[in-house]
Amino acid sequence: MTTVTPLWEFVDISKAYPGVLANDKVNIKLLPGSIHGLLGENGCGKSTMIKTLSGVQQPDSGQIKHNGQPVLIADPQVARNFGIATVFQEFSIVPTLSVGENIFLGNMPQSRFGVINWAKVRNDAARVLAEMDVDVSPDVITGTLSVGEQQLVEIAKAIAMDARMIILDEPTAALGEDEIDRLHQLLRNMRSRGTAILYVSHRLDEVERIVDEVTILRNGSVVRASGETKIDVSEIISAMVGGDIGEHYPKEQNTTENVVLEAKGLATKSGVSDASLTLHQGEVLGLGGVLGSGRTEIARALFGTDELTAGQITLKGNPVKFCREIDAIHAGLALVPENRKYDGLFFNFRAGGNITAASLGGLSRFGIMNLKVEEQATRDLIHDLEISSQAEEKTVNFLSGGNQQKIVIARWLFSDSDILILDEPTQGIDIGAKVAVYKLINKLTRAGKSIILISSDHDELLAMSDRIAIVQHGAIVRTVNAAELTHSDLVRASGETSHIKPQEVLA
Amino acid sequence: MKRIFDAQLIGPFAAMLIVAVIVALTTERFLNPGNLSNLSLQVSIVALIAIGSTIVIFAAGIDLSSGSMIALLTMILAQMLKFMGLPLALAVPLILVVGGLLGLFIGLITAYGRIPSFITTLAGLIAFRGLALTFNNGSPIFSLDPALEPIFYGKVVGIPLPFFYLVFFYAIAAFAMNYTKLGREIYAVGGNPAAAVLTGINVRKVQTTTFVIAGFMTAVGAVLMSARLNSGSPNYGQTLELQAIAAAVVGGASLAGGRGNILATLMGAMTIVIVQNGLNLNAAPSSVQNIVLGLIILLAVGIDMWRAEISGLMGRLFGRSSSDTKKGS
Repeated sequence: MTTVTPLWEFVDISKAYPGVLANDKVNIKLLPGSIHGLLGENGCGKSTMIKTLSGVQQPDSGQIKHNGQPVLIADPQVARNFGIATVFQEFSIVPTLSVGENIFLGNMPQSRFGVINWAKVRNDAARVLAEMDVDVSPDVITGTLSVGEQQLVEIAKAIAMDARMIILDEPTAALGEDEIDRLHQLLRNMRSRGTAILYVSHRLDEVERIVDEVTILRNGSVVRASGETKIDVSEIISAMVGGDIGEHYPKEQNTTENVVLEAKGLATKSGVSDASLTLHQGEVLGLGGVLGSGRTEIARALFGTDELTAGQITLKGNPVKFCREIDAIHAGLALVPENRKYDGLFFNFRAGGNITAASLGGLSRFGIMNLKVEEQATRDLIHDLEISSQAEEKTVNFLSGGNQQKIVIARWLFSDSDILILDEPTQGIDIGAKVAVYKLINKLTRAGKSIILISSDHDELLAMSDRIAIVQHGAIVRTVNAAELTHSDLVRASGETSHIKPQEVLA
Repeated sequence: MKRIFDAQLIGPFAAMLIVAVIVALTTERFLNPGNLSNLSLQVSIVALIAIGSTIVIFAAGIDLSSGSMIALLTMILAQMLKFMGLPLALAVPLILVVGGLLGLFIGLITAYGRIPSFITTLAGLIAFRGLALTFNNGSPIFSLDPALEPIFYGKVVGIPLPFFYLVFFYAIAAFAMNYTKLGREIYAVGGNPAAAVLTGINVRKVQTTTFVIAGFMTAVGAVLMSARLNSGSPNYGQTLELQAIAAAVVGGASLAGGRGNILATLMGAMTIVIVQNGLNLNAAPSSVQNIVLGLIILLAVGIDMWRAEISGLMGRLFGRSSSDTKKGS
């Protein structure tokens, strides 16, 4: 590999922000025709590297080399001219524009008089989408697509500009299993055409599958560069966190015989067609299925958010009807939503306000809140869940994803809920925080609480669930013991992608 | 008390002090007791209405209707006192109820009819003034009740009554926003309505409540307005809604909702009134006053928006790195 000139090379790149050295003499070589994994926990400096390479910011010192020649990437436009395309973690598509318009946003084919050549927009977009094997019309309004499809449009933008260097920051966070497969195939095709790919992901199973070499960052420095040797997941983990974290999935069996919740034949307008499940005290019931299969919608149906058109929910033998969320909360249910930024957190509040938000009634007498109790409970939960102590004084937007997620879960510990529905509780948080969430799940089930776990990370779902209910097209088709299921069983059982669209997209 | 007097007050308070010092330096008359008492009268109506406007803004709404609602309410009050012969003791409480009901009406259409508050209150802005004109053939009604002015706009121990109203209502509002369930719910709804729904907060009810509060506070303003001039008029309260919103914004309330301190709105209202007073005392024409008011609003929001840049600039000028630290990820 030393004979190939790297397409891009970082030589001793350093970048400091006030109070933190984000990149400390980082070296990396990105070869043409190679998929390079960039790994590390949140806050290790990955995003800083990506921003530097895509021209969003300038390094304080060090050199960036293009084909061996030192260059300056003064701004994002220069990066684009160099053929660098970046797919950021946060979408940069405009939901009200068509797919075609989004793909060529900022780069619309125009005639000499500055008039947009719509035929070319449509044809070129259709060609890119066909090349990606994505079955979406260029004329569709992007906001009406599922989150996964929107992510693919985002990637189509990079492909349409014929990039020679593609940076993907957590590209699969919103994708279902077969969409991930499709993306990986696409990346392999691009690799064989000589494109250099920098791939950032928290999902190590994926990294193992697709990446040719990895660079692991910790506290702003490269702690490991693998070259071309085969990559071992447990080695990666210990390199990332700087030591052994113990068991990756510390599963405890706490399930009992008592049925706490039973749902029969639930259906909603949002796409749940026939969902029946039983949940035992101390049990973790996993909902498996592809993105868009209706797992989130089942959660919403149980929580009283989406009105039931059919079916019956029974709690500890008593039939219940939840007209709104507060009824479900009073009955002891809790919902940790899929997207903590969208409908989980109050970014204007510190930890305290976020933790007590679902328990304001219990915290008040004659409408006046007992702020002492709030303060004390917040302090205790911050301590128990090992949340950053900054959370007491700072609004939650200053906290890492892992801390934010713990705060959303803490809300339902404070409300003393018996049944917690966790929708993608470890999405976009680093390994250390993931393990903390798993331990929290154990602690909850040990205390006799029950969990419904929704996760697109199949390894996690298999390892942490006692039983797994397979969801297809809004229906639970069967429920099996997690121990009897393998990763590939689960993938197969989840079946084909259906096309239920998450409500949020249209709202 | 630490909760109410938090760091969010420092900026607006400093702005008010700076403006007051500047005005006091330009004219000696600013600090004489007569002028200060006049100042508290001037600030009272807009500051009282601004309580409602600010609370609506906290819940991520906007209220454009308060100025026109004032006109309508003074006409109804005048009608009751002058032509229907209702006693003050009945007419005044009634007008507060009517104000609350008008707010309820707007709130219900906004929250349950799912029409943005900008639109519903814009409709109110136009329609309420129209409604005000349907009374007394559109003419002002004068000489309502000789007791009106001394009771509601007079002085106690040499201090104008409106000063006490300000203290009373701002104390209640500050307590409500910081210590009650409702206050917390208003901030939650303004901060993230989708998350509020999932925590069991009745978002529509909370939104509606903010408009009821706004309607009630506008009615309080209307009583003062009628008492000051012993009359009702369809022309009262023009642009008052914008001054009230300006007070909230100068006080640092975020129009995106969820952030701000109600007492800062009082500072904001006083800042605006002190500037107007200063220009008046220096005999500046009203054209200049409006231009300056516009610039103040820009400056107040600008300082808030450019905070990071300003502190960075300060850091470079004075050789210190800015105190906020970022995580490099």
